[in-house]
Amino acid sequence: MMKYLSLIIILAGAYLAVPLQFGGNDYVIGIVVSALTIAGIAVAWAMLGNLGGMISFGHSAFFGVGAYGSALLAMNAGLPVFPSILAGGVIAGVVSILTMPTLRLRGPYFALAMLAFAEIFRILAIEMRWLTNGSGGLLSIPRLPTVFGFDFGSRLGGYFVVLTLVLLTVFVYWLIRNRPEGLALRAMHDSEDATLVVGVNATRLKAAVLVVSAFLTGIMGAFNAHYINFLEPDYAFNGSWTTLAIVAAIFGGYKTLWGPVAGALIVYLVDQFVFKAIMPSGHQLILGGLLAAIVIFSPSGLLPWLASRFRKEAGDAAHP
Amino acid sequence: MIARMISSVLALTLGLGAANADELIIGSQIPLTGSAARAGMGMNEGIQVAAKVFNETNGKHTVKVITIDDESQPAKAVAAIERLNAQGALAFTGGYGSNIIGPASDAAERLGKVYMTSGGVATELSQRGLKTFFRISNATGYAKALAGLSDTLDLQSFSLIYSTRESTAEVAKLLEEIWTAEGKKVTLHPFDPSIADFKPVLHKIKLQDRPEAIAMVGYENDYVGIIRAAKVLKPDAKAIMGTWSLATPKMWQDFPDLMNNVYGTAPLPYPAQFNTPEEQTFAEAYKEMHNKEPDYLGIFGYVQGLLLFNAVAEAYDAGTLNSGGVQDALRKTEHDTLIGKVIFDESGDNTNFAHRMAQHQDGAVAIVWPKESATAEARFPAVPW
Amino acid sequence: MFDLVAQSVFSGLLAGAYYALIALGLALVFGTMRIINLAHGELVLLAGYIAYTAESRFGLDPLAALPAAIIIVALTSVIIYLLLTRIRVDREINSLILTFGIAIMLTNGILMIWSADIRSTTSGWYLDSIIIGDTLFAMNTEILFAVIGVLVVGAVWWWLSKSWYGRALRAVSSNRDAAKLMGIDPRTTEILSFAVAGLLASIAGIALYSGKVIEPSLGHSLTIKAFIITVLAGLGSVPGVLIGAVLIGVAESLTATLWSSALQGLVSMLLFLIVLLVMPSGLFGRTRRRG
Repeated sequence: MMKYLSLIIILAGAYLAVPLQFGGNDYVIGIVVSALTIAGIAVAWAMLGNLGGMISFGHSAFFGVGAYGSALLAMNAGLPVFPSILAGGVIAGVVSILTMPTLRLRGPYFALAMLAFAEIFRILAIEMRWLTNGSGGLLSIPRLPTVFGFDFGSRLGGYFVVLTLVLLTVFVYWLIRNRPEGLALRAMHDSEDATLVVGVNATRLKAAVLVVSAFLTGIMGAFNAHYINFLEPDYAFNGSWTTLAIVAAIFGGYKTLWGPVAGALIVYLVDQFVFKAIMPSGHQLILGGLLAAIVIFSPSGLLPWLASRFRKEAGDAAHP
Repeated sequence: MIARMISSVLALTLGLGAANADELIIGSQIPLTGSAARAGMGMNEGIQVAAKVFNETNGKHTVKVITIDDESQPAKAVAAIERLNAQGALAFTGGYGSNIIGPASDAAERLGKVYMTSGGVATELSQRGLKTFFRISNATGYAKALAGLSDTLDLQSFSLIYSTRESTAEVAKLLEEIWTAEGKKVTLHPFDPSIADFKPVLHKIKLQDRPEAIAMVGYENDYVGIIRAAKVLKPDAKAIMGTWSLATPKMWQDFPDLMNNVYGTAPLPYPAQFNTPEEQTFAEAYKEMHNKEPDYLGIFGYVQGLLLFNAVAEAYDAGTLNSGGVQDALRKTEHDTLIGKVIFDESGDNTNFAHRMAQHQDGAVAIVWPKESATAEARFPAVPW
Repeated sequence: MFDLVAQSVFSGLLAGAYYALIALGLALVFGTMRIINLAHGELVLLAGYIAYTAESRFGLDPLAALPAAIIIVALTSVIIYLLLTRIRVDREINSLILTFGIAIMLTNGILMIWSADIRSTTSGWYLDSIIIGDTLFAMNTEILFAVIGVLVVGAVWWWLSKSWYGRALRAVSSNRDAAKLMGIDPRTTEILSFAVAGLLASIAGIALYSGKVIEPSLGHSLTIKAFIITVLAGLGSVPGVLIGAVLIGVAESLTATLWSSALQGLVSMLLFLIVLLVMPSGLFGRTRRRG
């Protein structure tokens, strides 16, 4: 019961309180949108990490593919922006099929193979000038449209869109986790032999999770392209999309449902609002220290740590 | 609770920006960390000098420049613009890299405030139909300077080595077009920015291209790598030339064994001869504030800053700050500046932008092209190896 | 054409030996403790900046800065280890965050101390060219550090497989508790491996400073390069590091010669992927089960 209540409070806060409090301040909303973008990738990444047991260092590949796919469809094929964002996600999901041979790799081998894909896509985006305009990139990508008189192209509009996308991502994650396949997957990386006995086709399940994770990451990339209205290979395939998401997910607790979101919001917002105020240039120094400290003091991530402080709900969050 | 905490932190950070009413607040969005930090710091130095000079000489107004580090990231640059706006900035200056200037100037346009820069050269930036976007430099100016010098030296064949980054690839593309149109031979050698060993490229140039001149479009670390490889392989060229960040006193100071006879774009010679009163004021203020010789980034930062401050002051006096007075003030006249006349067209481009070419000559940076501004004869044929 | 390819392979071999130097420290820690030190590139860079300070301030030769660099960098490396030991749960994953945080701190610290300007040696001898048989060109520093690179790989290999400490280290990495029973103090051996990783990073940093150009934001890409080579080699294989590094170096160099320098990264990453898909445990990795 407590669980649903807190969910309702979070939703009300996100959809009502934040816009009412900060709606007029584009700066604050803009930073929150950036944080939520990272949050979306972090959830998608954690899905693969937690369910599939696969740590990817190359999710920027899907982010960039989704971004370019959607931007090009909107610019060249005249597709309306919202459908093209969806299409961007689909393209990222399809492209992830290319990366499937890497599923037979383990641990760091898989992580780095994904990184190699991200690097390959970045260079392809530079070289395929006829399609992507090369390193010159795409300027003036169509903004999010006005629907029923509400301008989604404004900062606040972007906030509602990205917030909804992140929540949907979490919802998809939750659905998959609670299906039998999700349980099987989680059982699997405790012991692969167990699933062999149970008769689950591990590789096929992992492949499915990879596609979903890539699709969701691609959606975030596509949203970002129409939100910031600009793309270039170094930006779209930038490794920091992956590293920030990984940091956020592990920081928040990548085995929990909400940990990645909480991690992204806290890391990004605290860094931008607090640390940057204290130390306008070089504030990442403090951020680095904070990351190191959290890992030492709360190795399961922030959410489980908070949960253990509020004993009542501990069982729920730390061992989902 | 958290919301209250955040808002109090915000109030704290935003409150810092509240300034005196008679001060003109200018927002400066600049990369002080991250990949563009080197250029951002140079430009920032120039802007600070411009503020000092303006405050000491204007008599009527003072400006207060609020600087926010954009960390070389587009989203943070946009956030910086919006935060500066919330702090009461009347106009914006700064920015390095077209990828960051693009979104940041979009945000400024939406706020209806002028965005002035010298750090983005991509042609597309001024083709977006923005009314509030201004820049004093562009890719064409760089390409024309290199092409102009090559004409004067009567060079017929080139190996063009360029980084696949956006602004470098843009200048290289323009250069290739100009040279090809003139019937000259150009071989392209694009390279990934992460490359450090240029010997394979230079070896191809030496054995296959055999050009009269080697042209480079990159950044300091690329130039150092290319010229080092050239010193090892010694291709038989008559000249080696490049674009920004090359013909600077700093490069000579750090890499004296690589720089002699190299050509690069430069706004002023070194040692600089500051003749006009404005030039002297600038040079003195720069030395006083930063304790070093001004470089091209500082000069550009100074020019963009001063142009903007004057335009804002003019619009303030006319009471047209909110009705497009700043952009009108920038567009309506020619401005005499350290880098020559500046004339803005409808798109905000400086149509009069033309770079000069300088050559490292035993520690001096001598302007050798165009003829009317030359401070020395070009040494030709001559290369560092 | 023959000249071009010969020079290209030669350049690639030299680059490979240099890459091996960069990767070795990371490979050592990764191979023995399964910890990915994301701050490794920053440690290399730190050594480079120490060499810069020694040269520009005190007029010292870059190699003469080695003792100072080793002390500072090895100490930093050991501090990283001591922080890592504070992690109680899920060390493989959490060490990513910890070392990433440290990498951010080092990058920004370097930026504050040394500014964003590019630096490289001005000592003439390192940059003078050496010509072998009229066809092969290199800088002295490349030959010097290629030789050092091969020697260091050999030394580390010997140290790990033949010396008592090396064997102790491997014992700890395969079974910590059993090693304890045999009278090996896991902590001492692990501190030692981090200190040696710091020493290796110092040598790599001097090589970097005396042949290439350093700037504060370089660390991350050095880490990635080192990591790619470590994985290509196969976890725990020291000779594999040299071979993997040379493979990447030659592939990059040949791509630049036969195709375009802009595609170097593409080709080396494709090569990396192909090797992994054929040999899922890297070139010399033992196929071992987890658990």
